[in-house]
Amino acid sequence: MSAPAPALAVESRRPVTMRLADPAAMLAYLSLMFGALLVVFPISFPRIIVQSWQNASLMSTMILFTVLLNVAIYLRVAHVRSAKPGIMAASCLGCVPVLVLVGLNFWLHATIAHTLSGYVPNAAARVDEEILAHTYFALVAAIFTPFLIIRFGQQFRQKRS
Amino acid sequence: MVALNSDNLIADWSAAKWLLWTGLYLGLGILAPWVMIGAWAHQHRSNLKPRLRELFQHGELGLVSLLLASSVIWDLQKSQYMPYTIALGSVFLAATGVMAGNVWIESYCRRSTNSDFHPERGWRDSWSLALLVFSIAIVTEILLDRFAKVAAL
Repeated sequence: MSAPAPALAVESRRPVTMRLADPAAMLAYLSLMFGALLVVFPISFPRIIVQSWQNASLMSTMILFTVLLNVAIYLRVAHVRSAKPGIMAASCLGCVPVLVLVGLNFWLHATIAHTLSGYVPNAAARVDEEILAHTYFALVAAIFTPFLIIRFGQQFRQKRS
Repeated sequence: MVALNSDNLIADWSAAKWLLWTGLYLGLGILAPWVMIGAWAHQHRSNLKPRLRELFQHGELGLVSLLLASSVIWDLQKSQYMPYTIALGSVFLAATGVMAGNVWIESYCRRSTNSDFHPERGWRDSWSLALLVFSIAIVTEILLDRFAKVAAL
């Protein structure tokens, strides 16, 4: 029997199955790097983040970074498992980080307004710390949430079929 | 308004308590069970010398992660961060903690129903998710430490 043509072999590949452990390790290293930067550069690293937020460039940078990282993680897993990347998963990886980061940006504005509205001592420094914490949690959310949705989607599809 | 300078934030011994906290969790959550098995083997004159991977092959690290996430959520709730930030941090710590705990649940269910169970996969998944919870927990503790200093000024 002759070997299947390469094009047919590609067609017959099953769609990639993501596990939450796949992005978890990469996100953990990123998180540890963030922590290390905070400890090694306790002044300059938070200042860069706060200034980027004040210049309105933080969100666009984070969107670009998280979308690229998510796509890279997904394609790597597809390559390692010799599976076919799915369109639904790819669109989820493109849309969800944007939605999460835009939503959390509104959330951050509400936080800052709340901090500045009441009398709190050292409000400017507190706002800087809120921005820093918010940036970190938003980064985690923008990377973890799409894979969480993909995972639940896969389980739902398995249950239906 | 009080300016925040480097002296307030540069890590000193008192600021490195998150390091002690990390050691405590690593010691009690991972090292202690391993040492206790060694003690049991010595007492019963057994040759039992399990590797860390074998000890946690059913996803038990997921349970340790869930406890770790709970304790950090508790610390976050006690902090002076705005309620929005506390909610955001708590939700994502809880989500990652529950997903890590789910590895143990899934391993248990698969073993109980004799369905497809791979110990390597249980270990790998629980290790990756435990590392994630641990890294989020450690960064959260660093952020809490910073915020406590700012609030104290």
